[in-house]
Amino acid sequence: MPMPEWLNILLRSAGLFAITLLLARLIGKRTTARMTFFDLVTVIVIGVTAAAISMGLAVSTAGGLIALAVWTVFPALIYVLAIKYKTVRDIVQGKEAVLINHGKILEDSLLESRLTPEDLLSELRRKSVFSFADVEFAVMEPSGEISVLLKKDSRPVTPKTLNIAAGRDSVPQTVIMDGIIMDEPLTAMGLNRKWLGTELEKAGVAPENVFVAQVDSTGQLYLDLFDDAIQVPRPKARELAYYTLKKCQADCELYALGTQDSEAKRMYARSAGVLADIVDQTGPLLTK
Amino acid sequence: MLTVSAQVKQTLASLKGVRATLETFAQIEQNNEAREAFSSGAREIGLVIGDLEKRVGLLEFQEPQYKGF
Repeated sequence: MPMPEWLNILLRSAGLFAITLLLARLIGKRTTARMTFFDLVTVIVIGVTAAAISMGLAVSTAGGLIALAVWTVFPALIYVLAIKYKTVRDIVQGKEAVLINHGKILEDSLLESRLTPEDLLSELRRKSVFSFADVEFAVMEPSGEISVLLKKDSRPVTPKTLNIAAGRDSVPQTVIMDGIIMDEPLTAMGLNRKWLGTELEKAGVAPENVFVAQVDSTGQLYLDLFDDAIQVPRPKARELAYYTLKKCQADCELYALGTQDSEAKRMYARSAGVLADIVDQTGPLLTK
Repeated sequence: MLTVSAQVKQTLASLKGVRATLETFAQIEQNNEAREAFSSGAREIGLVIGDLEKRVGLLEFQEPQYKGF
């Protein structure tokens, strides 16, 4: 007795579903992350072939499967080759094209990238650049995305351009999530449950009431409670240390002015200088 | 009215507090650069504390009625 058509399609589809899932893993993840034109073609061919086989539209199921295998193995192979050889990479992924250099639009590369001036301006506007003269450098990536580097005077101000020393901001570790204490991040910070217990006690909070707790690099605990009506004080140890240090420095300067003893005056002035240096050094780390 | 020695003692106490805080930070901090900044800060505050303590001793000698530390 021949298989009814619906059962045939069901079995084919289920089988192809599994196969396609497997093949997708084989190609790797980079296809969806950064699609080039070639990637797009591969994905469409695989999809159409799989659909054709499962609906029984292919010439033969075996032939369809062979086509599917070729269209997954070849791209996978080419990606491996592309990682090894630059020439393969240039052919498969294409090269980036410089569209604007030193504020001048390069018409030739625009033509090569099949971009109209309108396309370019619209892409720039999407990046909040309304005047092409502000652009130092714009490149069309192999994926078709346009990357823009603004001229130095049009770039947003950063601490670096202002010559301000910015403190290091290491990623805070989450030590309590949903009321559950996470031991691994705690140990990674060189802390333990006992320390956490003490800190929570200092804040006057029971661990089971904490929704999320994070520890920053200096061991300050930031809490969020289940009950949002309760105000948890923000840790102030860093700021407090900074301003106390500044006050002590000012005190020393005051004593230096107040004393008659010339030796004491020198000592106070030296101390004030040392404290000023410490304020400069640790200031960026203590204030955010 | 606070005498000079009492004022210096207050500053001294504040400095000791800051030194302790910086030492705690230096213990916990993972980043080498920041840890070095904290611990060298704590060390230098220690020197200042030493100088000020010497000065307090001298002041107490000059104003014996306010002795007591």
